[in-house]
Amino acid sequence: MEKIINLTVNGKPHKLAVKPNTTLAELLRNELELKGTKIACDIGACGSCTVLLDGKAVKSCSILAPQVEGRNIVTIEGLANGDQLHPIQESFIRNHGFQCGFCTPGMILCAKALLDENPNPSEYEVREAIGGHICRCGTYPNIVKSILDAAKVMRGK
Amino acid sequence: MAKEYSVVGKRVPQIDAFEKVTGQLRYGGDISIPGMLHAKVLRSPYAHAKVVKIDTSKAEALPGVAAVITYKDCPNKDWICPAFNWQGPVIGEIVRYIGDEVAAVAAINEKTAEEALDLIDVEYEPMPAVFDIVEAMKPDAVQVRPDGNMRYPNIFEWGNLEKGFNESDFIIEHETHLGQQQHAPLDRNACITTWTKGRVTLWTASQSIFWCRSAVADYFDLPLNKVRIISAPIGGSFGFWWQNNFMFIALLLSKMSGKPVRLELTREEVFSTVKRRELPITFIKIGAKNSGELKALSIKHLFDNGAYGNKFDPYQTVADMYRVENGRFESIGVSTNLLTAGCMRGVGDFSVGYAIEVVIDMVAEKLGMDPVKFRLKNHFQTGDVLHTSQEYMFQKFMFDRDIPVRLTSSGLAECLTKGAEAIGWKDKWQGWGKPVAVDGTRRRGIGVAISTHISGLAFFGFNGAIVKINSDGSVHFVTGVGRSGQGADTTQAQIVAEVLGISLEDIVVTTGDTDISPPTMATVGSTSMHMVSRATKRAAEDAKLQVLNLASKRLGVAPEELDIKNRKIFVKKEPERGIMLKALLSQPLQEHLCAPVIVGSSSEGFPYDQSGKMMMAHFAEVEVDTKTGKVKVLKYVAAHDSGTIVNPAICENQVHGGVFLGCGLGLSENLIFDKSTGMILNPNFIDYKVLKALDLPDPEVIFEEVYDDAGAFGAKGIGEGTSCGCCPALANAVYNAIGVRIDPPLHPEKILRALSKL
Repeated sequence: MEKIINLTVNGKPHKLAVKPNTTLAELLRNELELKGTKIACDIGACGSCTVLLDGKAVKSCSILAPQVEGRNIVTIEGLANGDQLHPIQESFIRNHGFQCGFCTPGMILCAKALLDENPNPSEYEVREAIGGHICRCGTYPNIVKSILDAAKVMRGK
Repeated sequence: MAKEYSVVGKRVPQIDAFEKVTGQLRYGGDISIPGMLHAKVLRSPYAHAKVVKIDTSKAEALPGVAAVITYKDCPNKDWICPAFNWQGPVIGEIVRYIGDEVAAVAAINEKTAEEALDLIDVEYEPMPAVFDIVEAMKPDAVQVRPDGNMRYPNIFEWGNLEKGFNESDFIIEHETHLGQQQHAPLDRNACITTWTKGRVTLWTASQSIFWCRSAVADYFDLPLNKVRIISAPIGGSFGFWWQNNFMFIALLLSKMSGKPVRLELTREEVFSTVKRRELPITFIKIGAKNSGELKALSIKHLFDNGAYGNKFDPYQTVADMYRVENGRFESIGVSTNLLTAGCMRGVGDFSVGYAIEVVIDMVAEKLGMDPVKFRLKNHFQTGDVLHTSQEYMFQKFMFDRDIPVRLTSSGLAECLTKGAEAIGWKDKWQGWGKPVAVDGTRRRGIGVAISTHISGLAFFGFNGAIVKINSDGSVHFVTGVGRSGQGADTTQAQIVAEVLGISLEDIVVTTGDTDISPPTMATVGSTSMHMVSRATKRAAEDAKLQVLNLASKRLGVAPEELDIKNRKIFVKKEPERGIMLKALLSQPLQEHLCAPVIVGSSSEGFPYDQSGKMMMAHFAEVEVDTKTGKVKVLKYVAAHDSGTIVNPAICENQVHGGVFLGCGLGLSENLIFDKSTGMILNPNFIDYKVLKALDLPDPEVIFEEVYDDAGAFGAKGIGEGTSCGCCPALANAVYNAIGVRIDPPLHPEKILRALSKL
């Protein structure tokens, strides 16, 4: 028995019919073909499925589609403006904040949520914010660097 | 060295950086093709059993099911993974570990496929199983494989071992174990297969597309050119994504259904049905003189192959990292009824290296000698014979030749010295039996470990490369390197850009398609920078020569007097005189009435004894809280000689990554098998604990760039070796802190038990 879900994704309204036990991650990947959100651990332990739900970073693999009725979602695909990258994305490139790139969408969105709330985080606060994210390639040092540098740029320094 | 170059040595971002930060990069699980079916696998609940009866009729009758396979539908033969990481039937009548494939279904969607699995009736006859390496070696042990549990022992011997021990002033014997590590990449194995009119295509993510093609062609008796492997970039591999059994299952389902079939593994399946690091047990006996000279070294290294692994050697680069006159190294791969074990980042240098570095510390302690000084005195050096090298082993094995192989270059001494300085060794090391500092229940310790690793092996194969220059001066570089985050496509392109005198942005790299890519060594064993680059460089030089020949006619100057820089071909003695690449290549030639086409190419193998080895010295400073047992890493220094560093940013990331992975096993990673059933108890990221951003300080990275003559621009490899020093450096540091030797993972529980507190 499918359910109709109305939601906004990356600024665009959608009306979708999905089974009620569909997760938000599955909805994004399979219904909207937004493959940037990854389903890696599938139990909310790695952060790869992170999206912004009304501006807050959430684990989309652990949210059911009906829970986002009428809500606003931003995925990694919604951050750049065409070819014009978001300062966080530019910083990750400049500071080599990825290797295989699989955790990167989640890390970047986590960074966005952090910097939107706290534009001047300490290094510890950055580590804590990404503390639940796994980067198996072990790029943490440059991920932290990327986020701190992005914060600097976004503060206009 | 690197300062002379325009692109080599520069911290350029990866060429697919834009795709990675925008989520546009397509990994194996992101691909779909129209009309594809979805597959699910039925797996054995028993570690060892015979499939007595299997009835798939109800599953086949379920609407939406297109194909069902069992062992009856598989060719009656094994498929063989190159490098001995797997040998066995795709689906067998005997199941050999919990999770082993029993049947598979392809249906219109995953849910239908799952329902169909429930409709398959299987009658198992459970058999006794063996889970322990030592048990499995006993003559009356349960036999996991028809050809026995033990692969033939691999033995290296040099000098006279008995004489060496007799001449020693003291002998130390020690046994080491390591916890069970797994690659645990974030990406999940997936593939899509098609089979039409004898032509097979496998879309997946693989480090080793040509090995994959060979294994598939061999198993299905197909010509190589009728098998096409198309590889997406991998979301972390570390040895995981080679050729795997699930790919063959999908292929069989495609063959049967005549349709494309997609098979994606769940996280639990990724943890429990693909691969893990070999579990090792190492026995070392070492003899030394009071002067500090090593006289004899005997290593017996047992390792777990699991159910389908087939290795006879752990793939250590050398077991003689030290100058020892007399030695013996013996390795035996042992089968068990557990998940298949095989290569993982560092391989034998990780597992055997751990044992060696702990024992070397024990020797230094017996002598009362500073462990850094001891290593500086005794480590192997450029020109030394490598008694236990892979190259030596293979030339003996394949051609019955007995020609010594020597170490070609080494910056190990500098790595030790500079690394020691960076960690503050001189001030911190208080002597044996004395921690760095004590503060209540907290004790600080410091430890060191050296390691080495191959930068690929000539044995892995010839390499081909193609460089095409378009009429506008833009370039296509075609290769077969794998992409699992190490940026091999980027660094190979840097080599091309350097040779051609153009910018990195001028190059588009095509890789990962066995129909298009020239055969390239598998991207394993840190091969690409030291081996593949040579072919890449030659292909670029070939293209460059074609360009110079053309320019020579235009400028009226011999090609030897020309060079290219900043996209301009210029006369070396008169740099102002020249012509832009684009201008040269877009001009029609009189004799042809059209513009030229430049295609540079190469295909070559490498002399087996011209193979650089990377050198590492790792240092760890830890604090052990004897009340909680918790080990905290305060400082970590990783000093590496990987020859010329073509991209410092990529290489630093590789070192960071190896340290996080190596320290992962050092501190907390452990895949746990239930002792009575063989079931994996923690196949998920909550209970299998990889390190995250709060768990380690940023490692300090030092590069000692010793130019290696065999490598392109003097470069060697780096990726695998980055993890090898971690476990011994941590274990040695913990010993310094608390005076007890413990094998990783260095859990609080283990620490407290060792301190008799539990």
